[in-house]
Amino acid sequence: MHISEGILSAPVLVAGASLTATAVGYGLKKMAYKQMPKVAILSSVFFVASLIHVPIGPSSVHLILNGIIGLLLGWAAFPAILVALAFQAILFQFGGPTTLGVNTFTMAFPAIICFYLFNRGIKGKNNFFALTLAFICGFLSVLLSGIMVATALLFTGEQFMQVAKLILIAHLPVMILEGILTVFCVGFLRKVRPEILDLDA
Amino acid sequence: MKGRLYLILIFLFLIIIVINIPIFAHKVNIFTYVEGNKVYTESYFNDGKKCVSSKMEVFDNQGNKWLEGLTDQEGNFSFEIPQEEGDLKIVLTASMGHRAECIIRADELRNTTGLVQENLKEPTSKESTESILVYKMGEENKVVSPEISSQNLKEVQLLIENILDEKLTPVMREIKKSQEDKISPTEIIGGIGYIFGIFGIIAYFLNRKK
Repeated sequence: MHISEGILSAPVLVAGASLTATAVGYGLKKMAYKQMPKVAILSSVFFVASLIHVPIGPSSVHLILNGIIGLLLGWAAFPAILVALAFQAILFQFGGPTTLGVNTFTMAFPAIICFYLFNRGIKGKNNFFALTLAFICGFLSVLLSGIMVATALLFTGEQFMQVAKLILIAHLPVMILEGILTVFCVGFLRKVRPEILDLDA
Repeated sequence: MKGRLYLILIFLFLIIIVINIPIFAHKVNIFTYVEGNKVYTESYFNDGKKCVSSKMEVFDNQGNKWLEGLTDQEGNFSFEIPQEEGDLKIVLTASMGHRAECIIRADELRNTTGLVQENLKEPTSKESTESILVYKMGEENKVVSPEISSQNLKEVQLLIENILDEKLTPVMREIKKSQEDKISPTEIIGGIGYIFGIFGIIAYFLNRKK
């Protein structure tokens, strides 16, 4: 879901970059010193996850994992994803330096939405309910990212519905897979170390 | 502490998985070659999937669009070389915001087309017959008739071209393979190291503030 160089127009790039800059600033301010190792680890998880291709479906897609990153990091997801994307751009030429802002926003903003939607729920007493929410979180984060990418491409003159449909169909396997992965992660953390889920943004 | 250890273990596990599966960068590539008076392109995502019916645009060196088309089911696209001189830029726009471009230099185009065509056009001209005659005088034992020029030259040229195409196909394939830049474990582990380093620096500055 990385948008390449030279596709988006300047206003979209600038808008993406400024939104990302603001959110990263806020994320850094909110980030507690104690949270640092967790942010670093999840940032590298994001960095590596994009290399895992999902060989199902019509197009070339990979894991994103922004749902679980949002759940575990809150606003710190923005700096984490920005750093990971920057290194993906430098080392693997995914996306590029100018689209960094837009790409960060399309992936980190859904993470924040998921955080606010599901942060309470996954800590609840009822195990089944919490895990269902975790699945929805993983699923929804990719879905929202797809919609955001389609929105960014909208200004390049492509048909929104067409692009959105294409992205969503291509990412359906990823959505399901990420839902399952999020269930495993949340289930595991609930048992082993529930305090990691305790996070007030 | 125990939980954090588990996290690190999961993370290491992820790395091991990643290193053991073939990894390709998530981007699109164009591979081009010139054959006769046509330019052939193949486009593919780095995991090997072809870019089916993606938009291809060809620009001349002034940036004017020269032609536009769609790739076929195999991700192939070909077009005839335009008459004007100058570099050609090929831009591929694949689905979901992927884009790649590649430039074919003018001399590359001329080498394969210009020379061949010139030779074909004037094999009967004075110069070529003269040179053949000279050749004949030099080596008297060899019988080279002047008539070799027009008909045979064409055939020989075609033959050479065919043989070259045949012989070069595997080489082309190898070049294409080497262009598919696979990601090495070094880069992955290096990247992870950089990320930890960056957050180490951020932690340092956050700590100093307090």
